Amino acid sequence: MIDGLVRILVFQGVGEVIAKFFLPLVPGPVIGLVLLLAFLAWRGGVPEGVELVSAAFMRYLGVLFVPAAVGVVLFWPHLQRQALAIAVALVVSVIATVAVSALVAKLLSRGGSDAA
Amino acid sequence: MRPDLPAIHEIWVYLSGSPLLALILTLAAYQAGVMIYERTRLNPLANPVLIAVTLIALTLIALDMPYATYFEGAQFVHFLLGTATVSLAVPIYKGLPSLRGRLLPVLAALVGGGVTSIVSAILLARLLGADETVVGGMVAKSLTAPIAMGVAERIGASPTLTAVFTVTTGILGAALGRFVLDAVRCREWWQRGFAIGVAAHGIGTSRAFSVHAEAGAYAGLAMGLHGIVGAIVIPWAVSALR
Repeated sequence: MIDGLVRILVFQGVGEVIAKFFLPLVPGPVIGLVLLLAFLAWRGGVPEGVELVSAAFMRYLGVLFVPAAVGVVLFWPHLQRQALAIAVALVVSVIATVAVSALVAKLLSRGGSDAA
Repeated sequence: MRPDLPAIHEIWVYLSGSPLLALILTLAAYQAGVMIYERTRLNPLANPVLIAVTLIALTLIALDMPYATYFEGAQFVHFLLGTATVSLAVPIYKGLPSLRGRLLPVLAALVGGGVTSIVSAILLARLLGADETVVGGMVAKSLTAPIAMGVAERIGASPTLTAVFTVTTGILGAALGRFVLDAVRCREWWQRGFAIGVAAHGIGTSRAFSVHAEAGAYAGLAMGLHGIVGAIVIPWAVSALR
């Protein structure tokens, strides 16, 4: 499992360095993700250690964004005043997103490409 | 004779100066959230992150503990977000074979859904009088949370608001998705899953998996592709529009 963690941390490190010096607009970990994806494709499979670490992260992904989300206490009065705007924007936007994605996928699959 | 016991407040002062308290609070609150989520048979409204954040926020208010003090301890959990983002490569890699023969509809749905998500949220929030801090927090809300927060940092938006709006979006998408998909008469499982993954990232994906395996696989793929494409395109587009 440690070998998997080392590999993932190395990809993260390389991603952070590339972001810092060459691609300041892209978050470093996302560059690391793309590099790891390319490595897996080149290798033609997922090493066992990487598989284990990734499965653990995916299982407990939620807890990782709790510390930042708790910062909502700082915004609370601010958010309360705009609660209606926020609620309407979030609800309508997610409905529209689901509808548009589904309709586009449906309309473009009609040409028989569905056979796959 | 009893030994000199430290006064309660001394224990408290000692503990609140170490990262331990914030770490215990974070993990225990999340554990409570997971237990409630499992009790409600994985009802998307009983989201563990939402429960954990509520419990911790109430605790901080009750203890009169500043957020900065809490975060000093909790940053050890926060740090792992980047590492978790990198390891998203594994589920994406495994989902790639499902793209075969469906590349065009999948990519078009991704672009259409991604643009709809950002434009509709920004326009509505502005129209209803939200300020720019709130509007900024909405930009990356349909990306998976670890990536959304990274994108928020790059575009000068608040990672905190982004995290909160992202989790809320995931919950809403998981709860409402089915009705929207039925309304637009979308019946293929892969299309249903993909649409939920584009709109509601990880929370939508776990919901899709609990309904149908193929829908779940496509939702996970949509979440991953949306994360990668969003992280590359959004910061670039925002800086071009400024």
